[in-house]
Amino acid sequence: MDESLIRRAQGGDAASFAELLDLHYDTIYRFAWKWCGHAANAEDIAQQACLKLAASIGQYRFQAAFTSWLYRLVVSCAQDWQRSQQRHEHDELSEEEPMEYSSRPEDGIYLSQVLAQLANLGEGMKETALLVHAEGMSHAEAGAILGVSESTISWRVHTIRKHMAQPAARASLAYE
Amino acid sequence: MNEKSFEAKLARVSAPAPDPAARLRAKRAALEEFARVHAARQAAEKTSEAASKGLWDALRLFRDDSSHGSTSMAWFVRRNLFAGVASACVVGLGIAMVWPFFSDYGDTRLFENPRPPVVVDLKPQAGESPPAPALPKTVEPAPEKFVPSEAGQKPPAAAAITPALEKDRELAAIIVSDQRAKMQASMEIKRDAVSVTDAITAEDIGQLPEQNIAEALQRVPGVEVARAPQAPTPAASGEVEEVIVTGARASRAQQSPHKGVAPPAGNGYSGRVRAATVPVSPPPTATVAGTMLYESSVPVADEGRDKFQKFEVNPVKQVADEPVSTFSADVDTASYSFVRRQLNSGRLPQKDAVRVEEMVNYFDYAWPAANSAKSPFKPTVVVSDSPWGKGRKLVHIGIKGYEISRDDAPGANLVLLLDVSGSMDSPDKLPLAVQSMELLLSSLKPTDTVGIVVYAGAAGTVLEPTPVKDKQKIIEALRELRPGGSTAGAEGIERAYQLAEAHFRKGGVNRILLATDGDFNVGIAGTDELKGFVERKRAKGIFLSVLGFGQGNYRDELAQALAQNGNGVAAYIDTLGEAQKVLVQEAGASLFTIAKDVKLQVEFNPTTVAEYRLVGYETRALKREDFNNDAVDAGDVGSGHTVTAIYEITPVSSATRMVDPSRYGKNEKPQVERGTASEYGFLKIRYKLPDSDTSQLIEQPIPIDSRDVPQNVLRDVQFSTAVAGFGQLLRGGTLTGPLNYDDIIKQAQSAKGDDPFGYRTEFVQLVRKAKVAREM
Repeated sequence: MDESLIRRAQGGDAASFAELLDLHYDTIYRFAWKWCGHAANAEDIAQQACLKLAASIGQYRFQAAFTSWLYRLVVSCAQDWQRSQQRHEHDELSEEEPMEYSSRPEDGIYLSQVLAQLANLGEGMKETALLVHAEGMSHAEAGAILGVSESTISWRVHTIRKHMAQPAARASLAYE
Repeated sequence: MNEKSFEAKLARVSAPAPDPAARLRAKRAALEEFARVHAARQAAEKTSEAASKGLWDALRLFRDDSSHGSTSMAWFVRRNLFAGVASACVVGLGIAMVWPFFSDYGDTRLFENPRPPVVVDLKPQAGESPPAPALPKTVEPAPEKFVPSEAGQKPPAAAAITPALEKDRELAAIIVSDQRAKMQASMEIKRDAVSVTDAITAEDIGQLPEQNIAEALQRVPGVEVARAPQAPTPAASGEVEEVIVTGARASRAQQSPHKGVAPPAGNGYSGRVRAATVPVSPPPTATVAGTMLYESSVPVADEGRDKFQKFEVNPVKQVADEPVSTFSADVDTASYSFVRRQLNSGRLPQKDAVRVEEMVNYFDYAWPAANSAKSPFKPTVVVSDSPWGKGRKLVHIGIKGYEISRDDAPGANLVLLLDVSGSMDSPDKLPLAVQSMELLLSSLKPTDTVGIVVYAGAAGTVLEPTPVKDKQKIIEALRELRPGGSTAGAEGIERAYQLAEAHFRKGGVNRILLATDGDFNVGIAGTDELKGFVERKRAKGIFLSVLGFGQGNYRDELAQALAQNGNGVAAYIDTLGEAQKVLVQEAGASLFTIAKDVKLQVEFNPTTVAEYRLVGYETRALKREDFNNDAVDAGDVGSGHTVTAIYEITPVSSATRMVDPSRYGKNEKPQVERGTASEYGFLKIRYKLPDSDTSQLIEQPIPIDSRDVPQNVLRDVQFSTAVAGFGQLLRGGTLTGPLNYDDIIKQAQSAKGDDPFGYRTEFVQLVRKAKVAREM
């Protein structure tokens, strides 16, 4: 749909790029929020993703859907952010932020708990759960974004489902 | 709840709409980046274009000339070409010599300006951007390399993005101060503060995203807010109902949410929550702007969002590897109180706050008591089937400390003398004192009586001595207490002694507990006079203990002197944990410690037990060699305290081992003494009598079959199992198999017994709350 827009942006048209940002910022931000459950952090991730988009829009080759390509970019920004968080975990600066609950208090808590569990479950589990369940993508789409095969995604979804079915996993969740 | 709902839930989770300010920020940053990248790329393209042009021109030399018809011209050109080649050689040599200067220059330039400044001038460019400077037309491409960093290249890109930002220009006055400025402002406020103060300041446009001050308060560490889960009007739903200050009692926040005015001091129990609204100059739209101050001198206690000692759940151990398990007795119950508080406010506690052994030991069990103070323990060992795993067994080790007074009862006649002067109006003073007294109540017998007298401000008898079985009445009286008013002297202490005398218990404990922050204006002026008064009363059998609270004007010396004269203790209570220690462990259990440094050690029999796991006591683990070392400190046990430890074991005969046997391990049969095949293990307890420094030993085998166990002991085994199961579930329940909250409720309900104080009923309620909290 916005192919010509992307081409113009790739050609260096700032107005087109701005329009592209306007179109996709919400998607980026919402995914980032789901990732971290926290508005300020989501803003950070989203901003990083926008910067990255600016830098690498030229590399988009129209082979995959633009949104898939965009998701891949956001996921990698989110992963970077996560790593930097872990690095600075003991910094005073990162500790002071309390959890933000948005309009529905349980969302934030529930998300952070489920996602923390999934992140511990293994590489890519959190990403898979978010893309497949929260973003409603098909396994093939998620696979394309995460750069793994569709069957890998299916296996991950199965593992997650199995994990969530365990009473142990559920019992540790405050809100289900 | 099945996995379907997990997926549905995840799918239903909706992220909030992004903050427009953040969006604008991100957009602007991205556009700058875009401009930068694009400018760099354009420049790079130009460079390669220029380079190719140079080559093209060189080629044209031939073409042009060859297209020329004249032979003389061709000759000229050929000669020229020769000269050209020759001069090219000379020029090449020259370049080679001059190159280092150039390259040096170039490198510096590149380092100086690795990337152009990202500040974008929002002003529209007045004229056309200056053209790129004419490049020297030389064969060598080297100097052209620097062109990208020429400042002259920047403006066209900036000009290009200007229209894109045009529509945002009315917002151009936003000062993006961000985290750093926000924290600096907070730091400054804290630095200048007189009391312990925490401050939060709004970032960005002076607006906190919260809807009102009460919500914003939860950004302060140690402050939580509880929301109304359901409200008559949808608008009110989810709004803050309570402000909970760590270390202070929860209180209603009688707030007016949208007025930007903080709740006053609630009902007097809450920490003084002072919110100062300092409007920040530019944005008139801010609903909650500026600075919030939370003022308190409470040290942040180990509750709320605070940190607990992290610990891993005791793992399943193989008897073959590690047959001996050693730990210290623990009679603390703080964990249970914390869990209860969290659950009562509708939340599941954080995992590290749950110490299973403290939850189990919160309750009093019917383990048979020892007969004499000389050997104050009699271990009770009961083996039962584990409800958490098929084929596994639970070994209950219950010890009940010798009860010095339970039967022939020095009943207690306590009079609480509380300072309610204005200076007690601080979360760590009167509210903490009230909480401490409530703690004390839980350690008194139902027949004991408690009276309450206050002095300063509202002087007089608040509560006539009331039996502890009317606990609710006493608690209500305590909670009615309000600090404030004048510090007008009253005959507080005399009133207290009169009350104690009127209800004097012969042969019992008659004691005044004076709680104050140092204001000893109790009605008798003069320190010596006061001491003399206390001494005279002591002779009549009424003792005095002093509990100090708060900081500032606490007079430790006088408190000590009074307590010594009153045959009591002077204790300083800064936190609830301390109150627990002083009033429950030391004074509470009939004021007597019966044994100190109590350690337990169990050696399992490898011929009968394959695996074991100690439930709880993670933070109390001792080394094997510490057991016999009297210098190593361990828990103390007061009169009548029960300590319960639970092991889950897998008998060798069971087919459901958690750990597979080692393939390459030693497979020889363990050599054990004959006649021990009917034992699961051997229990040793070491303790010191209160006035002794050498430990004594109690030993007892753990039989495979528990015979002749009294009915009430079996019932309490079941109840403690339920409590332990609950604790483990709260910690994640990885080792409890299919156990769920309903099972626990069932187990606990049928094992409640008499439950004279209603603790066990309360426990069942807590489990229900946990279930609801989880399902929410």
